[in-house]
Formats: sequence, C-alpha cells, structure tokens
Amino acid sequence: MATYDFLFENLGMKEWCDDGGGSGPVSMADLLARKKGGEVETSVWDLPFPSMDAFNESCSNFPKSRELTSGLEDGFLAIKDVLKFILDPVTEPLSWMLDGAMWLAESTPWWIVIPFLLLVTYWVSRSWSIVISVGASILGLAFIDHYLPAVQTLSIVFVCAAICVLLGVPIGIAMSRSNRLQRGVLPVLDMLQTLPTFVYLIPLIFLFSVTESKLYGIAIILYAIVPVIRLTDLGIRMVDKDVLEAAQAFGMTPRQKLYQVQIPLALPNIMAGVNQTIMMSLAMVVIASLVSAPGLGVLVLRGIRNLELGVGLVAGLGIVILAIILDRVTKSALARVNAAQHH
Amino acid sequence: MSKKLLGAAAFGVMMMPGVASASECGEVTITEMNWASSAVITEVAKFIMENGYGCTVQKVPSSTTPSLVSVAETGKPDIVTELWINGAPAYNELQDAGKITTSADVLSDGGLEGWWVPRYMVDANPELATLQGLLDNVDLLGGRFHNCPDGWACKNTNADLARNFGLEEAGFEIFVHGSGETLATSIGAAYENQEPWLGYYWSPDPLMAKYDMVEVDLGVPYNEEVFLCAANAECTAEGVSSWPVGPVKTVVTTDFESREPAIAEFMSNMSYDNATVLDYLAWMDSNKATYEEAAVYFLLNNKELWQSWVSEEANAKLAEFF
Repeated sequence: MATYDFLFENLGMKEWCDDGGGSGPVSMADLLARKKGGEVETSVWDLPFPSMDAFNESCSNFPKSRELTSGLEDGFLAIKDVLKFILDPVTEPLSWMLDGAMWLAESTPWWIVIPFLLLVTYWVSRSWSIVISVGASILGLAFIDHYLPAVQTLSIVFVCAAICVLLGVPIGIAMSRSNRLQRGVLPVLDMLQTLPTFVYLIPLIFLFSVTESKLYGIAIILYAIVPVIRLTDLGIRMVDKDVLEAAQAFGMTPRQKLYQVQIPLALPNIMAGVNQTIMMSLAMVVIASLVSAPGLGVLVLRGIRNLELGVGLVAGLGIVILAIILDRVTKSALARVNAAQHH
Repeated sequence: MSKKLLGAAAFGVMMMPGVASASECGEVTITEMNWASSAVITEVAKFIMENGYGCTVQKVPSSTTPSLVSVAETGKPDIVTELWINGAPAYNELQDAGKITTSADVLSDGGLEGWWVPRYMVDANPELATLQGLLDNVDLLGGRFHNCPDGWACKNTNADLARNFGLEEAGFEIFVHGSGETLATSIGAAYENQEPWLGYYWSPDPLMAKYDMVEVDLGVPYNEEVFLCAANAECTAEGVSSWPVGPVKTVVTTDFESREPAIAEFMSNMSYDNATVLDYLAWMDSNKATYEEAAVYFLLNNKELWQSWVSEEANAKLAEFF
C-alpha cells in the first residue's frame, strides 16, 4: 500500500492502474519494506511529494519519471537520421579544415612555425615587447617538450575562432538591424552560454562519428560563438544616433552607412567579442579532449585519470601560457583599433 | 596506585568498543567504482552488510587508481571491490607493504580484455575472428582500430601490439579515443548501423551485455614479459602476446580485516561468474533500471548464490526479506 492509493481509488482509476500487472523493477525501498511488513502508519512528516514515481507506487500504469527521459531519448533518436542527413555534409568542411590545420602544424618544422607565429604577432600587435614575451612563452613550452600539443591546441583554436568570427559577425549585424531577429536569437544565445559544456557533447556523439574531428569542432564553435555575436550586435546598436543622422544627411545609403560608419565605430566592441571568443574556444578545447580533441587537454585528462600531478600541472600551465599569449595579442590589436579611432 | 587504577579504567574503556564490535558491526566504507558492474556489486554488498550484519555502510565513489592511492595515504576505504589489478601497479606495492589483504576473485572468471569485432561481421566473414583475417580484410573493417584513451594502460599495450602484429603495416589507422565514453559510443553507433568495428574492449560490461561481440583470436599464447613491457609506457615491446585473463579482486585493508572479521569473511566468499554479471547488466539496460534496482533483481534471482556467501546468523536475518 502506498500513500496515494486513495487518489486513484477516488478517481475510479483502480482498474486501469491494475491491468498492467506491474512487473516493473522492484526498488530497494520495496524490498526493505517487506521486512517491516503490513501497514505502516506514515505521518504527515514523511509524506512523499506527489511526483511521478510516488504515483507509480500506487498505480503501476502511471509512468515513472525515468520514462520521461527515455521518451526524450527516443524522440531524439527518431529525428537523428534526418538531422544527420542534413548536418553531415554541411559540417564536413569543418573536418577538412581542422584536419588540414592540424596536418600543417604538425608537418611544418618548428623553425618555420615559431617565426611565423611571431610574425603574425607583430603584424597584429605592432609591439616588440609582446613579440618577445610570446616568443619566450612558445620557446619555453617547446623546451619542456610540450611543443606539439601546444601547436595542436593553437591550430584548433585558430580554425574554430576564425569560423566563429566569420559566422558570428554577420549574425550580430543582422541582429542589430532587426529587433524581431534579436528577440528570437537572444534566448538561443542564453541557452548556449548556460548549458553545461558537457551536455553539448552528448547529442553530438549521437549525430557524428566520434572519430571525426568536426565533433569537437562543432562543440567548440557552439560554445565560443556567443560573445562575438552579442558584442557585434551591441556595438552596432550603440553607435551614436547623431552620427547616423549626419550620415543620413550626407545622403548615404543604408549599406554605405553600415560599412563606412557603423562597423568602423563598433569595431572596438567587435574586437572585444573576438577576444572573448578566442579565450572561450581555448577553454572548450580542453573539455573537448574528452571527445578526442588532441592537444594539451589530453595531457590534463591523463593527469586527472592517473593522478599524475606533474603531468596535469605542466599541461595546465601550458594552457595558461597559451591563454596569456592569445589574450595579450588580441588585446593589443584591440588597443590599436581604439587608438586609431581617437585620432 | 591511583595511576594504576586510571590505567585500568582507560584500558576498560578502550576495550568496550572492541567487545561491542565483535557481535555488532560498526561503520564500513566500501568503494563504488564508476562503472556499472561494480556499482551493482557494491549495492548488493551494502544491502547484505546492513541488513544481515547490522553495519553502517558508506559508499565511496571512486575508480581504480584513486581508490588505491586513498588506501595507501589514509587507510580508507575499508573495502575496495572490483579491482582490475592488471591496470593497477599500486596493488602489488600495497600488498607487499602489508596494507591490504586480497579477499577473493570478485569476478570468478576474471576480466576478459582484448580485441573485439561485432557478431554480425563474423557471421558474414568467419575469418574475421582471427588475426590473419583482420590483416587480410582491412577494407572490410573500415581500416580503423579503436584504441583506449590516453592515460589508460591498455592504450600503450594496444599501440605496441598493433604494431608488432602488423596491423599498422596492413593499413589500419590506430585511433586514440578521448574518453572511455566515446570508445563505448563508437561500438553502439557501429552496431546500430551494422557498420564495421574493430577495437579494444573488455567484459563484463553493460555494452557487452547489450551487444554481441566476438573476441579476436590472436593465435599466440600469453607472454608475460612482452605483455608487461607493452603495458609500460617507458618500454617498447618487441614480441607479440595475447591478452591474459585479468584477475579482478576484492581487497580489504589489513586493519579492517582484524576489526571486522565477519565482514572480511563475507567479502572473501563474494564472487560472481561472468554469466551472472552479464545477466543483471542486460536486465538493467533493458529496464532502464538503477544500480539499486539491479542489485534487488540480483538478490531476488540468485538467492542460493548469495546465501552461500553469508554466515548463518546473517542468513536468518536476511531471510525475512525473501
């Protein structure tokens, strides 16, 4: 006898309840209750919440809450094939890009890669002090034999952040020009940002083969694309109305206004978004090592799995160094943009 | 004089809990490893200890290496069960230091590790169950060998053996998974789509209960020297070897053994064969049941087995439930 028997009796559902026979799993509580035996007077203090499982105790045909989760699972599996049919070819280039970047980074000798990275750093930041600190960091990582995983991590971050920017900036611009689109997209962005990062990976490993690199690529992009969209939208919306009116007065078309006034003025915000996006893809690339993303994350995982404190700490520090490099370089690029605007 | 009296009183007080625990069981901590078969075994042991022996049982979520590190550093948990000692070098050190006692083979058939292919592949091409069949049919198998994630001992073993058996030369790509979860998913995905799959796995495991897999016959005996070298990251093995049957043990700390001899006795009797484990794992999967419910299922359906493990007194107490 369970607490809510009276409910089903009063509703006249007793017959419906019992015709299932109730041959479901016996719970530990049922087993323990056998010893106490017979009627146990439950006080109000022990009243169970009228949940699905509590109703199931009284009525074996009432679904348990685990049937809700398995229903969700079945629903997802039912649409899986259609989703896969559409998404698989669309996302295939991502695999090629990731594999290509990885191959390039691995097969190019270090004495080409490192100077090239420093050149890019100088081109972006125009600051010798940053070039020197980046150089020292990379050489330090290489010196402790973490060059390969560091370069693998960097090439994944480059590919994913580039795609984030290519997709995110146009989405942000579109959002800034349509209030309705903004209302539709913001909840999606909120969800992407708050969904625990591991949860991304579950539907993805159902959809794509776990041996393909796009699996972690998509996870990283979904996670990291949010700030660049948000800040592009915000930046363009924050452009001074007076400036726009002046542009209007000069007879600019909307397109000219966008390219020649709004985007340049929003650039500091957009760049701040890019910086955030790069940092978040670095964070996600570590978690994505759970789904076979190569790089420093693999070493962090190994450290956790085997409690190899040293391995974990060194790899973790390697990620910190990469984060500092990426942050300083993008921040100095941002500073250059800001300085250019104040002239 | 007064000092002596005090000493005697203190001695008496110290003895009191000892006397009490001889008949009444105290607190017991037992590991709950993070995989299904072990979690159910822990639930069964917990039920029997609580209701048959009157212990207060605390489950400690853990896994192989962390549990042994914890035993070495703190002497807790009292009982470590379903310990696959092939993947745990710390086991021998602790055993030699006298910190732990091996109670039993908790899986009486041991753990089967090795290379597996799905049953439907072997039905279509019986030679795939042999090493030569693998080497001759790279395309049939998708040209990929699914290896363990980094940080598992089997990753090193597979890497060395795959090279020495000529798998790489035959054109197989050795794919290192990021985690055990994706390794498992790859089997599930291949099975759902009836696609080729070749890789490392082990039994008993829920996946093996759900999907029918065939272990590949490597055609060579177990060679301890080669195998130990292959498993070691620092050592590159030159020869070939089959996988040994992995001993899967229950160990208790030596302190615990002297503190709770009755429970230690029960632990030394608790042993499951592979068929029983695969049976409750398969039931658990098809009913979407929890570990607890699987433990109840086991208790209800294997009464004679577990009744042979426990003392008469405990049996009498447990009989009230069944």
